[in-house]
Amino acid sequence: MRTPKLFLLVCSLLSALIIQAQTNVNGKITNSQTGEPVARASVIIKGTSVGTASDEKGNFSIQVSNKNAILVITSIGYAEKEVAVGDGEMNITLEPSGNQGLKEVIVVGFGTKIKRDLTGNISKVKGSEVENMPVTNLDQALQGRAAGVFVEAGNGKLGEGVKVIIRGSGSISASNQPLYVVDGVPLSNDSYSGSPIADINFNDIESFDILKDASAAAIYGSRAANGVVLITTKKGKMGKTTFQVNTQYGTNKPTHLRGFLNAHEYIDLLREAAINSDHIDGIDPLDPDQYEDSWLEFAEGRLTRYSGWSDWKTYQTNTNWEKKAFNNNARTGAIDLSASGGSNKTKFYLSLGYINQDGILIGNSLKRISGRINVSHQATDKFQIGMNLGLSQTTTGRVTADNEFNTPMQSVALSPVTPFRDQDGVIYTSPTTTYDNPYVDYAEGNYKALIYRNIGNIFGQFNFSKSLFFRSEFGVDIHNQNDDMFYGARTAYGDGTNGYGESDWFRSLTYNTNNYFNFKNTFNNVHNLDAVLGMSYQEYNSEYANVYGEQFPVDELQKLASAGLIKGGTSVATKSAFLSYFARANYKYNDKYLLSLSGCIDGSSVFGNDRRYGFFPAVSAGWILSEESFLRESKLISFLKLRASWGLTGNADGFGDFASRGLWGGVSYNGIGGLASTQMANPDLRWEKSNQVDIGIDFGILDNRISGEVDYYNRKTDDLIYDVPVPGNTGYTNRTVNIGAMQNTGVEIVLNSDIIRSKNFRWNASLNLAFNKNKITRLDGNQKLIAGNDGRYLNSLIVGQSIGIFYGPKFAGADPQNGDALFYLPDGKTTTNDYNEAGNFIVGNPNPKLTGGITNTFNFKNFDLSFLFQGVSGNSIMNGAGGFMSSSFAWFDNQTKDQLKRWQKPGDKTQVPQLRLGYDNGVSASSRYIEDGSYLRLKNVTLGYNLPVTTLKKYGLQNIRIYVTGVNVLTFTKYTGWDPEVNTDYRAGNRNQGGDFYAAPQVKNYSVGLNATF
Amino acid sequence: MKRYYIIAALFMFIIASCSKKLDINPTQSVDESIVFNSDKNVKSALTGAYDVVSGASLLGGDMQLYSELLGADGEITWVGTYNEPDEIFNKAILTNNAYVRDTYTEGYRAINICNNIIAAIDVVNEEDRDHVKGQALFLRGLVYFELVKLFAHPYSEGNAGSSLGLQIITTPTKDGQITEANKVPRSSLQDTYQQILSDLTTSKSLMDDDYGPYAGKSVAAAVLSRVYLQMADYTNAAKEASDVIENSGASLEDSYSKAFNNTAPSSEDIFVLPVTAQDGSNDMHLFWSISDYGARDGDVEIEPKHINLYEAGDSRLALFYIDGSDIYRSGKWKFQYRYLPVIRLAEMYLTRAEANFRMGTSVGATPNNDLNTVIRARAGLSPVAVTLNNIVYERRLELAHEGQRIHDIKRLKGSADGFQYNDNKLVLPIPLREINAGEGVLQQNPGYN
Repeated sequence: MRTPKLFLLVCSLLSALIIQAQTNVNGKITNSQTGEPVARASVIIKGTSVGTASDEKGNFSIQVSNKNAILVITSIGYAEKEVAVGDGEMNITLEPSGNQGLKEVIVVGFGTKIKRDLTGNISKVKGSEVENMPVTNLDQALQGRAAGVFVEAGNGKLGEGVKVIIRGSGSISASNQPLYVVDGVPLSNDSYSGSPIADINFNDIESFDILKDASAAAIYGSRAANGVVLITTKKGKMGKTTFQVNTQYGTNKPTHLRGFLNAHEYIDLLREAAINSDHIDGIDPLDPDQYEDSWLEFAEGRLTRYSGWSDWKTYQTNTNWEKKAFNNNARTGAIDLSASGGSNKTKFYLSLGYINQDGILIGNSLKRISGRINVSHQATDKFQIGMNLGLSQTTTGRVTADNEFNTPMQSVALSPVTPFRDQDGVIYTSPTTTYDNPYVDYAEGNYKALIYRNIGNIFGQFNFSKSLFFRSEFGVDIHNQNDDMFYGARTAYGDGTNGYGESDWFRSLTYNTNNYFNFKNTFNNVHNLDAVLGMSYQEYNSEYANVYGEQFPVDELQKLASAGLIKGGTSVATKSAFLSYFARANYKYNDKYLLSLSGCIDGSSVFGNDRRYGFFPAVSAGWILSEESFLRESKLISFLKLRASWGLTGNADGFGDFASRGLWGGVSYNGIGGLASTQMANPDLRWEKSNQVDIGIDFGILDNRISGEVDYYNRKTDDLIYDVPVPGNTGYTNRTVNIGAMQNTGVEIVLNSDIIRSKNFRWNASLNLAFNKNKITRLDGNQKLIAGNDGRYLNSLIVGQSIGIFYGPKFAGADPQNGDALFYLPDGKTTTNDYNEAGNFIVGNPNPKLTGGITNTFNFKNFDLSFLFQGVSGNSIMNGAGGFMSSSFAWFDNQTKDQLKRWQKPGDKTQVPQLRLGYDNGVSASSRYIEDGSYLRLKNVTLGYNLPVTTLKKYGLQNIRIYVTGVNVLTFTKYTGWDPEVNTDYRAGNRNQGGDFYAAPQVKNYSVGLNATF
Repeated sequence: MKRYYIIAALFMFIIASCSKKLDINPTQSVDESIVFNSDKNVKSALTGAYDVVSGASLLGGDMQLYSELLGADGEITWVGTYNEPDEIFNKAILTNNAYVRDTYTEGYRAINICNNIIAAIDVVNEEDRDHVKGQALFLRGLVYFELVKLFAHPYSEGNAGSSLGLQIITTPTKDGQITEANKVPRSSLQDTYQQILSDLTTSKSLMDDDYGPYAGKSVAAAVLSRVYLQMADYTNAAKEASDVIENSGASLEDSYSKAFNNTAPSSEDIFVLPVTAQDGSNDMHLFWSISDYGARDGDVEIEPKHINLYEAGDSRLALFYIDGSDIYRSGKWKFQYRYLPVIRLAEMYLTRAEANFRMGTSVGATPNNDLNTVIRARAGLSPVAVTLNNIVYERRLELAHEGQRIHDIKRLKGSADGFQYNDNKLVLPIPLREINAGEGVLQQNPGYN
């Protein structure tokens, strides 16, 4: 899949085309997103003043004298387009342009609306904005593009989950992720691994409509508390079949390396640490009589062990283990082919996509082949049927979680005095290396996941009359995954057992049906009504089985058939169901006054019988002031709308399918099955409810040259579900209870501007900013604090503070007198060297105060340049591995460079306490390991060139664009770790945010690519 | 219009047929209401109680590990990276220590399962009822005893009537209810020991004879001998130990090494936890052995100070092995997936010898017989003078690294690593989460806050 092959393919297709000139050209101009005709578009022959305009149905007719003529199509609200005169009837689609958003069609649940008439807050991201971004996950492509949509990839591993939070965290234990709906099919959030939408080729996507406020989302009732992301895939349009080819090739690198001690520094500091520890024990290890059994002897013994064949005393070896974690030759290649078109009865979109990306970590890769068939057919005048079907196969080379000894990033802990290989060329591992060498697990192991995903639906729509239709949809989301793991006899997992093999199988089936009536009519020219009444049902089933074994005869035999000992296996299944009845009415009076009412009754199998159903209403209203007489003539203000909404949504996702029950699970003793208590009952468990008010203003100034939206929202979530600690003497540790309440308040600002729109040069800019304040307003009863100090992290729940706030001891640096780590006592002024005596303080907040993005797009003649800056501000990051890697040499792990600034002699003022081997000199969780996590990042920059249409015409091509693009090109941050966009995967959750623990940095990618349309 | 009715009818049908679909039951777990409604299910819960007791956090290795780390005294060193055992080794235990927390909560989990079984005992078939109830009482008493030794000051310190014991819970938790019974203050050390004695003596009277992986009369007697020894009730200690020696049917293996690394109970196991590749846990192996044998990185190292305690020719010395870095390792925990002995018959001989010697009695046999003819002879050693010191010294070697060390130090009022036997730092803290969840009722141990 390299570019030369692509050219061959393109050329062979071209040769099949016969090009003929016409003198009379007829055509139809449609909106590329909706397929609706574009009326009164101007059609001019390039280089002349000859022109015409399209009629109400988008049709036009024009005489051309030159068969190589180029037509220039312009219309307000659409990007200018140049088209070579083609064969037969021309079908020209226009791409709606940014600042003409008022006419933009917004997908709402079970229907569409134009943006002008919205009363709720919905952010739209067009597929074309994220197309060709060289990332593997859709969510990452959305980063920085929509106000209040916070996207965070926890690390730079490919194929892993990405956190998407809309308007702040709404829950402590239940899911915080939005509901994803692809063409009407709600995806399951209970994905076995990775993100629910990781298996979708995003070049197939027409648009993302992100329903943010409660009134917009309320039709999805109890699944909508965290917002809804409606994903619409591309559909065929009537007219000539269009083929498109996209291809791309690039390289991947880590955004940043952290830097660890080199061998010289390692040896010096380790010996210093050992000598310091000896002094504490009252020994002078440099006195030969006292050397025996000293820390120094111990440390030097270890240095000898770690040095293998080399001599540490002469600094013979200096291995950079950090670099060993990364793949130096990571590449990305991708190609997409699509065809779309249709007749007046049948329309289709077909696509095939392939991406092959190497991760930056050794052993990490992702390969996806995906196909899509979207077809619709008008069976009779009144009856339409269709199907949208996406299929994909994803193969991932996986790496283990950040806290596993064999995850590549943990190689940084190894000593730089250890050579990579022994003198026979065998890669060193424990006991020569400090810990098992992760590189051996990569070189002598194999961990692959294979995922088949099938997301699709079929639908039928019956139009009773012009104003009433009934639509029925049946959708499935089938996910089949197999993880195969093998670790050879020398690896961390396979050591001592002659290898370790595991095979995991996961299958989930979500099916759903939506059935609804839609009534749409205008009465007396001023009363416009759009109403929906329907139901939906969704069922989720999943099954998981695994088997694992040991004692493999040779490392080459990796399947469990060769395991000498099958150690164990299991199979589990779960199921949940969801039922909803919904209704909505949108009313518009005289194009000025907007009102929307909706409600749904939802039932979930997760709750006990008495608590099963919930009612979720919403109301919203809008007033288009610019239609009023006092503003209609304004030259300055071209559009002004006020809107307000209130709604209630629910959450029942993410805390287990049977959380209300008292459960006993199967265990075994002496080979006999038994029952042991696993879960404490709570028959009163009920819905989490989220109550949101949104007040917004939409405006356009100077003929909409500058437009924007400002929203204020206040979201109060009540009955928050949490596993509350109960006294251990009950036999349980937690009980799932509706304990608390939380509030998110915030302001979102979106500004769009056509800064320059001259004939040859255009500059569009779009800015989005979101300020969010998250606050826990109630915990269980009189409980004010659930402290989270677990020795490594401090994520706590405190009334009046944001979720997961860092609460714990405050580090006061090294004692200038003796180098002891000091902490503040509860008074906040005096200090102690006893961690147990230290006071607890709020020492950081992992929730960003501000998130945002700014996109600039320049078009100059045939060139286009766009860049997206994205950033977060006001959050902190805690390095949970600080106690290992920045620990004043508490143990033999290699240390970060900052440890060079350690306390050495009385009077030294430093934040790095005295080095002490084998002693805990302030390595427990405290503010010592917390840093500011704000960053600003050049997320994406793309420079493209469109080949001149006249050149293309000769080959029958519509469009060829070549481009170079970069992702995560520059990062500005004070964070000294690998990357400030981080949350270590092994513990990530609503509360556990902002944690770093050997997490891989993000991927920096540079790619070149080509798009061709013909 | 007919077509509209069909569609409308279909729509109504879909609505009506869906609401029942919300009734879904779990597949891996059963509702607690089902667990205690039949003979078979209650017995399954008993198996569950054994499983919890044999878990890594309890007698599956951690409790033994804590005892050895607290009593290390330069004979062993914790060199591993895990903070939690390191804190215990250094006697600088934080109240949020996760290992300590899990030992505490898993202990009470086992106790609650036992309480549930005892409360539902009438469901059990009459012919098995006593044996089932006896085992539940035994496991409850055993767990209370293991917990009280770690989480309370030693009985040997005196003032057991006022010193803090444990929260005694004897009622089952049901339907998610946290009752007043869960909000009791900690009983005194004396009352806690009385509860333990009551559970164990009752269980001994109810159970059939059995030993090995399951409890029976002899197993209860063996644990009772340990309890009495802690309480310095030597008469009863000798009596119970002698009962085990005479009535259990167990016999010493002919060589010391055969008592360990077995894939089935050895002939001298009084109570042993089954560990196979498929089932059971053994944290003693995990932390004491090395990665060549499937363990971690050799986190516990045996120091020459311990090795030097043995006479030449002691077969117990021969069990130690030296790893690739010239470090001594305990051979008792060398291999993976081997049964974990909790009480061996050899201990009963040493208990009987010590108790008889202290009382000047010869219950069952003379101290000379137990010390020299039985224990030292098996180790390949010649007799020594029968003195209290020699008996205790022999016990220290015979039971080395089996989880008895700190309890013997405390009982004998010795010291470890410079800490007196009754030092606050040799007692584990009540876990922070329990103090927080205990609503002010639960009192922390002295020396922790």
